[in-house]
Amino acid sequence: MSKQTRSYNAQKVIERMGKKLNRQIVGSLTACVHCGMCTDSCHYVLANPGDPTYAPAYKADQIRKIFKRHYDWTGRVLPWWVKAKSVHSDEDLETLKDTVFGKCTNCRRCTVNCPMGVDYATFNRMARGLLVSVGIMPEGVAVVSKDQWEIGNQMGVLKEDYLETLDWMSEELQDELKDETAVIPVDKEDADVVYSINPREAKYDPRTISDAAKIFHIAGENWTMPSEGWDMTNFGLFSGDDELGGAVARKLFDKVTELRGKKLVISECGHGYRSTRCEGQNWAGMDVDFVMESSVNTMLRYVKEGRIKVDKSRNTIPVTFHDSCNNARSCGLTEEPRELLNLVCENFTEMYPNRAENYCCTGGGGAMSMSEYTPRRLKSGKVKAEQLAATGAKIVVTSCHNCVDGLQDVIRHYKLDMKVTQLVNLVADALVIPEPVEVVAPTPAEVVAAVTAEVEKAVPVEADAGPDAGGSLAGYTILVTDDEPDFVVFASAILEDNGAKVLQAHSGEEAMEIARRETPDLMTLDLGMPGTSGSEVFEAMRNDPDLKSLPIFIITGQPELRKLIYERDVRKPEGYLDKPINEQGLLTNIRKVLNVSRT
Amino acid sequence: MSELLHFAEHQLQEGALLFMAVVYTLRLTWLLRFKAGKERQAATGLGDTNPRKGFLYSWANVAMPWAMESTRKKLFIYVQFVIFHVGVVAAIGLSFVIPYGAHLLEIPWVVLALQIIIGAAGLVGIMRIVRRVGDVYMRAISSPDDFFSLFLLTSWFGFAFLAVPNSTANGEWILMTYFFMTAFFLMYVPFSKISHYLYYPFTRYYLGKTMGHRGVFPIRRIS
Ligand code: SF4
Ligand code: SF4
Repeated sequence: MSKQTRSYNAQKVIERMGKKLNRQIVGSLTACVHCGMCTDSCHYVLANPGDPTYAPAYKADQIRKIFKRHYDWTGRVLPWWVKAKSVHSDEDLETLKDTVFGKCTNCRRCTVNCPMGVDYATFNRMARGLLVSVGIMPEGVAVVSKDQWEIGNQMGVLKEDYLETLDWMSEELQDELKDETAVIPVDKEDADVVYSINPREAKYDPRTISDAAKIFHIAGENWTMPSEGWDMTNFGLFSGDDELGGAVARKLFDKVTELRGKKLVISECGHGYRSTRCEGQNWAGMDVDFVMESSVNTMLRYVKEGRIKVDKSRNTIPVTFHDSCNNARSCGLTEEPRELLNLVCENFTEMYPNRAENYCCTGGGGAMSMSEYTPRRLKSGKVKAEQLAATGAKIVVTSCHNCVDGLQDVIRHYKLDMKVTQLVNLVADALVIPEPVEVVAPTPAEVVAAVTAEVEKAVPVEADAGPDAGGSLAGYTILVTDDEPDFVVFASAILEDNGAKVLQAHSGEEAMEIARRETPDLMTLDLGMPGTSGSEVFEAMRNDPDLKSLPIFIITGQPELRKLIYERDVRKPEGYLDKPINEQGLLTNIRKVLNVSRT
Repeated sequence: MSELLHFAEHQLQEGALLFMAVVYTLRLTWLLRFKAGKERQAATGLGDTNPRKGFLYSWANVAMPWAMESTRKKLFIYVQFVIFHVGVVAAIGLSFVIPYGAHLLEIPWVVLALQIIIGAAGLVGIMRIVRRVGDVYMRAISSPDDFFSLFLLTSWFGFAFLAVPNSTANGEWILMTYFFMTAFFLMYVPFSKISHYLYYPFTRYYLGKTMGHRGVFPIRRIS
């Protein structure tokens, strides 16, 4: 086919490839000997025996053939001899998209298993970037990239929502520590530590923020969180878009410089750590004059220096550790999390293989945002599920938010009896709060009185609520919606035992009818119900003038949650929990949401 | 010795070597024209490694089958790799020994040793052909060049094996075929995947340097 008949996008991809090639990439593109040694190192291959289209070298060849056809003389002279082939149409590019986005998580496991040193993951990222540059990408990648370009973080969290969450977490912390000085400082200049987070924390997992704040506070750290550029994740890593990568990194680096921060601490996130600490400066083309480290190193240092005291007997459940690919294979962060884990947990069991040889959680490379590949991703989780099950642990700890989501999906899909958590949560749980906590003003008695008054104001306590009235749900009406009768009974019992009036619905239609009639304070919603699905009910309620203000708490055993989050153009749910739930988790979260909804 | 055999052992080989050197130089110049990516960020990891350690480890990787899961799990393939490549060195060496050190081939154990090495490499070549044709993954990633290179080397091993005694008792055709194949091999190499050893130092150097800077290489393994 001549150049004239090539589609505009195909032509651009070919031209732009030339600009992206550097010596490392060209070396990797030319050096493969097709020895097949990397084949079994890929989790996709292990989960799809007999299908060679998942083999790393096969996938790499889909990019290599274009390179050979246009940039390597062997392929120019004798294309069929070396399997060189061009791309001509947008369909060709769509096929390439399916490989580079849908069959590889850029985990780099094949890279460290290639005798020739071929770094497929790196040129797979390059190929993603080329496709993104002509607008060919999975929808989720487009949505998240857009959010990061336009709003400044990859979950589209608005500045006011972020600051509100920090406020909320500050209040929680003050309440918990009975200490008015226990606040999250924002935009404080000359701080020793500027703390950056993953937007997932602000949106869905604020406990990690309050836990980190608690640790910083107890350690007596001079710290702050930035009001802008606070997202340390960077979708440029996944989309292959170096421009986005550079812009996001620059925003964060500039803010730290503006605040004259001495150290940028990156919360536990593999892709965030890699893109901020190990790639950001290269994409942004800038040097920085502050230090950067993972919060894992920070917490470990606090414990070692005696700035915080931990009691490992508070974490007795057997735990194992999952190394994030980005931390372990691209940044060498493998030993510190284990050292810290052994300091805060009594029962740590290693997972095999581990460190730089660990298998991907399945959610790497932005896979969690590409819902069209979810079945493929979950299938590829077989090897991870086997690894997890073999440890016998009840909790898998990981220093990565992406891995939290990926592992949760694997655990649910393969019905493992396990939970996922992060080091920050375990450290916070093991934290010994010094007595008395230093209080500047007001006095402890005043704080206690103020807190009590606050609680009384927020929660209308019934006369017979008893001594535990502070945490009581008395006065609240909660609608529990789930098609599983066992679940409805279980959740209702917990909520009723804690004082709530509980209404029950077993379908979406029934829930909407009850919600309209009884105007509850909160509704829990299952997503996977027969008939009108939970996500449809959710959207319908958000668009209903009478029901749109009702706080909705998703409790699901279904991966559609992510789709719901990403695709519905309505206000996001006030909270969510994954099944199976436990009493403490349910109550803690419901209380948090109710506090928010009443203020 | 016929004039043709003399030509095959000397001028043909020298010409082929010169051709290979020229093409290699062009190939390397082409590779070096691409700018090397740089790492601006401070080093990561425990501080017990650095780019230098990283690339030395990366280069040494070829002799450390325990360093990668792939070679640990496929030790037999690794052993085949070693035999095959030692065979290539021996068969190439033979093309210098015959014209310039033929007396060495009068020592029986040298002949035996070379034949064992080259013969074993030939057997490995056959096993590799079987694997490349029979294994669904290998078939899917193979190009005509992969098949041809393997056939070429395996049959070349066969003639090298027969040429080791450097005898013309049964005619010159064995030596002649071996030297013509060697010359063809030398000229074909720069255009084929066989030239991978030219890239090996580069790819492993850059990967090792990067991974050393990032604290990943040498890989820590607790099993
Ligand atoms: S191990 Fe390396 S050289 Fe061998 S097929 Fe895989 S990428 Fe190619
Ligand atoms: S980078 Fe990871 S997911 Fe991609 S081919 Fe290699 S091993 Fe498989």
